[in-house]
Amino acid sequence: MTMESEHPQDDAAAASDKLILSLHGLKKHFPIKEGALQRVVGQVRAVDGVSFDIRSGETVGLVGESGCGKTTLGRCVSGLTDPSDGAVYFNITEGDRDRVDALRDIPDEQRSEQEREELAALDEAHCINQLNEQARRHYRRNCQVVFQDAFASLNPRHLVNDIVGRPLQVYGEASGSELTTRTVQLLEQVGLGSQHLYRYPHQFSGGQRQRISIARALALNPELIILDEPTSALDVSVQAQILNLLHELQRERNLAYLFITHDLSVVRHMADRIVVMYLGKVVEAGRTQDIFERPQHPYTKALLAASPDLSDDTDTEIPTLEGTVPDPAHPPQGCRFHTRCPVATPACGWDVDDVVRGLENQENLFDGLSAVNRVSPFEAQLTFDNEASARALADTLHSNAISASMREALEEAVVRDRTINIRFNPAEEVELTERAPGHIAACVLDPAAR
Amino acid sequence: MMSEGAEKNPSKSPAPVVASVADLQVHFQSKRGIVHAVDGVSFDIHDGETLGLVGETGCGKSVTARSFLRLVPKPPGIDAGGSILFRPRTTCDACEGRGCESCHQTGRVSAGCSACSGKGCSECVQSGEETLDLMQVSNSRMRSLRGDRIAMIFQDPGKALNPALTIGSQIAEVFYQHRSAEVLDAANVDVSGIDPGSLLLKRQAAQQSRTIERTLLKIPPLRSRRNQITAAVDDMVADALAETQIANPRKIMQRYPHELSGGMRQRVMIAQALACNPDLLIADEPTTALDVTVQARILELIHELQQRRQTAVLYISHDLSLVRRICDRVAVMYAGRIVEISDADQIFQDPRHPYTRGLLAALPSATQSRGKLAAIEGTVPELVDPTPSCRFSGRCPNEVETCARFDPHLQSVGDEHSVACFIYHEPPEGSGGRPTLAARSS
Amino acid sequence: MVDSPNTDQIYLQTRDSAWRVRAQRGWELTRTMLANPTTVIGLTIVVLLILMALSAPWITEPNTPDAYQMPRDWSAVRVPPGSPGHILGTTNRGGDVLYGVIWGARTSLKLSLMVVSLTVVIGVVIGSVAGFTGGRVDEVLMRIVDVFLSIPELIFALAIAAVLGPSFTNIILALVVVFWVKYARIMRSQIIRIKQSEYIDAARVIGDSKLRIYLRDILPNSFTPVMVQATLDMGNIVLVGATLSFIGLSEAGIAEWGVLVSEGQAGISAGRWWAPTFPGLMVFLWALAFNLVGDGLRDVFDPRTESAR
Repeated sequence: MTMESEHPQDDAAAASDKLILSLHGLKKHFPIKEGALQRVVGQVRAVDGVSFDIRSGETVGLVGESGCGKTTLGRCVSGLTDPSDGAVYFNITEGDRDRVDALRDIPDEQRSEQEREELAALDEAHCINQLNEQARRHYRRNCQVVFQDAFASLNPRHLVNDIVGRPLQVYGEASGSELTTRTVQLLEQVGLGSQHLYRYPHQFSGGQRQRISIARALALNPELIILDEPTSALDVSVQAQILNLLHELQRERNLAYLFITHDLSVVRHMADRIVVMYLGKVVEAGRTQDIFERPQHPYTKALLAASPDLSDDTDTEIPTLEGTVPDPAHPPQGCRFHTRCPVATPACGWDVDDVVRGLENQENLFDGLSAVNRVSPFEAQLTFDNEASARALADTLHSNAISASMREALEEAVVRDRTINIRFNPAEEVELTERAPGHIAACVLDPAAR
Repeated sequence: MMSEGAEKNPSKSPAPVVASVADLQVHFQSKRGIVHAVDGVSFDIHDGETLGLVGETGCGKSVTARSFLRLVPKPPGIDAGGSILFRPRTTCDACEGRGCESCHQTGRVSAGCSACSGKGCSECVQSGEETLDLMQVSNSRMRSLRGDRIAMIFQDPGKALNPALTIGSQIAEVFYQHRSAEVLDAANVDVSGIDPGSLLLKRQAAQQSRTIERTLLKIPPLRSRRNQITAAVDDMVADALAETQIANPRKIMQRYPHELSGGMRQRVMIAQALACNPDLLIADEPTTALDVTVQARILELIHELQQRRQTAVLYISHDLSLVRRICDRVAVMYAGRIVEISDADQIFQDPRHPYTRGLLAALPSATQSRGKLAAIEGTVPELVDPTPSCRFSGRCPNEVETCARFDPHLQSVGDEHSVACFIYHEPPEGSGGRPTLAARSS
Repeated sequence: MVDSPNTDQIYLQTRDSAWRVRAQRGWELTRTMLANPTTVIGLTIVVLLILMALSAPWITEPNTPDAYQMPRDWSAVRVPPGSPGHILGTTNRGGDVLYGVIWGARTSLKLSLMVVSLTVVIGVVIGSVAGFTGGRVDEVLMRIVDVFLSIPELIFALAIAAVLGPSFTNIILALVVVFWVKYARIMRSQIIRIKQSEYIDAARVIGDSKLRIYLRDILPNSFTPVMVQATLDMGNIVLVGATLSFIGLSEAGIAEWGVLVSEGQAGISAGRWWAPTFPGLMVFLWALAFNLVGDGLRDVFDPRTESAR
């Protein structure tokens, strides 16, 4: 355990070099269980390898559609769920972070004894799941959450006094009259007052409840607040009040925010940097202005185009995305967005599942399917009841029913008797690459080509 | 998108009115008193237009929409007055639905009033057209209108579809309910005769058959004819689904709602709502539960279908930027009243009511510096036994004493643009003065 | 930071108002409950029955040495109601029916209170352990509960009481064994529901300990259905208890309504209706009253209406 975590205030001077939070290849997989014996039959990859940093005093916006894993990620960061793999580092210097990155990139078995010890020491000092009791309490105090549904996150049987004062009680910070004074101070900071102390949550309006949640999150003077869709249940006029309040508090207390939302106009207004997620992976990250003005990933572009804005021209068509988000239990190979991507290339990772995804709505095509022998994600033998069905599928695969880039990626679709052998060009997962300083995106398309 | 719609109605004469809401008041009984949820709302919806009804939670927009189909639960709801006049349409004789001058390109004309044969009487409010007051019509008439002449799409398609029935059978129900004659016609079943078989089939098509009759219909000679009906309905359902751009509708028909994605379910809802080619479609926040990329497609779909069929749409939403994109006219509601109604372009370019201005300013945008959003201070008033006053007083930046003592009414401030605010019209005599916009800048 | 007003003053003033707010909420709930006439009727009967039970030693002369035993007046066997000294008549063994009715209320109160308090404690503990820990422990405990639930209440109690032998304590034991399962079930489902609430997440984020989260958030929010069930069971237990006594599984000669009915039932054919009728009526009243109150409580604590208030 290092000095930093023991005496957090001491290194305040070194704040510029300090990362409040650093995610390293964070994964969270939920097992799919089936049957009476609860056998694990698969994994839902809610979050599948996410890395980014949050510096003190900045707002990072985490954007994505429902099911992209942004809420799960928030829960991992706040310590409500343990990640399946990867780690979240708290209060780490950039130098240490780079060292952790380097060490973690070495496969387990190849690490030397010394490297292992070094990593273990760093993990114990900073990784939120391996902290000792004292450091964990320190982390807990410094990372608070404001939930989407303010009403559900307030115990209906507790008075505002109990709710807001509770963190102070838990850490023994105050009691008796001091507790009341501090609670009143907190309420005043969020625009409420002592007249609200002894009321139940149901006696407040939606905006006021969210203020109570914020007051509770502020009680322990945290460095980071995770805001999980804090305004999506509120009306615009109230949303504006809450956003102003959040900004005000950030300025006063040098708070860092992880702002999780699906609302692009809100995140554009609030965030310094934005991380865009799709199906558990980061597709693009960078400064807010860069993301909005020069989006690099086709998904970001589609998202930006689809969200209505008052400054839009009403006469332009809203560009839309085809298809639906694939099942996160079977994410597509390569770039996960290629199934819906308007500019997909043959190198995007077309796989056997895409055949079914793309053609399942075709009438009678898969009716005669009797067996599937999967060699790899990119190669499989599909056996039908009769040869005609297999031929029909082969014909379809060579027709316009599937996209040109998918046809190009298809190496082989050969029919032997009742079996069709389908093989695609294998593709690697698409790595995030730097497109501009501080702006990364995961797309096979060459940035220079555009 | 919008310009197309504008070109279709180049002449200034507005399309005929499909529905006209006049001084609608819906109240709710509560422990603390009577809540005036909708308190004197009036507006018209014209043929083939999209009217947006925007406002925040609790402003009464959903209650207004539900009143069209009498879906407000009573009690605790109370009809406190007002009317919703609805004029059902029939196909235009002159152009047989293709759209011509006489029917304002909508392909539909209003039916004549049966009481006065078009001369105009008290029953049809001197319009000579068949006019129904939706607040007064009998329950059976209401049932025949629902889903046929007036249809509704709900916010959460997951809840609005029956989880125990297949998609196909849920849409088929609409046809059986409202189009039994056409079903029989399409199935080539002759039911003019008096043979008991055709009677049974007729009852089957109208979904009136009992268990014993259904059993009878399983007996061979009748079965083949019954299957003809089922096949005919299946065709109609598949067509309806195909209209909403659902690929492979015949496969989707056999699925259950939970097997479909949210966007797909909303498409099914739209297919069901538009199955009978209604005159008025009420869309109650149809995309709120959907992701932005899916929302864009659903909006596009609604817009396209509306253009093609010239259905009037009442679009309920809290999202101003969305309403701006898809609506021809917009009515802004606040605390049970309409505070401003106008052309969509006009209301966004030149909002007049302080509340509309506040709402637009409160939207977060890139240009607004952080922490400086123009939030509307305060909260929506409780509508328990309100006294006469502007409902926005107390939060309004331009407020003067008059506002708290008198009711402002919607008054015209320009072409098709009305505002309920004392800034734009004289307050009653003996009031304390008139607010001005100047107060705003302070 | 904002200037704080006089701290002590706020503290005193607000501590007082915290108490007042809670009292006000309690009063509101009571008022809602009292708005229902059937609940009021039930509550009135319950209060009267409990008063009767508590004041038994003062309204009758207690039998010595054991007041719970029926006094036997062999000089006045089978006298009808209205006889001097025996207002409600006597049984064929000279037991005073009035004494049985009044002391029977005391026996019933003792029985139901003991059984309910024991079963609630057992059920809440087991249900909490199952719901809170989950996994295999939950699985095992719930299968045990299933086994208990699969046997009909009355027959199960009867079998246990019969095995243990006739005595009042054994009836209590038998009823406890039968009645705890419901509470375990209710408690477990409540805890599982509440464990998923966002305010539990909120408490975890603050860093509160599991025990305190259980005591402060989970238990208070899951307890109302248990309370409603306990009220209903106050009636049901007396009903089942009387049945067991009637079959003779209780101590003979004890002042208990079931025993009294069984003692008097032989006389019905001879027209001596009073000995079984009065205690029978009491059992009926007791069960009815507690069920009415339980239903009233259920209406008040219905989660659908509660959140609206």
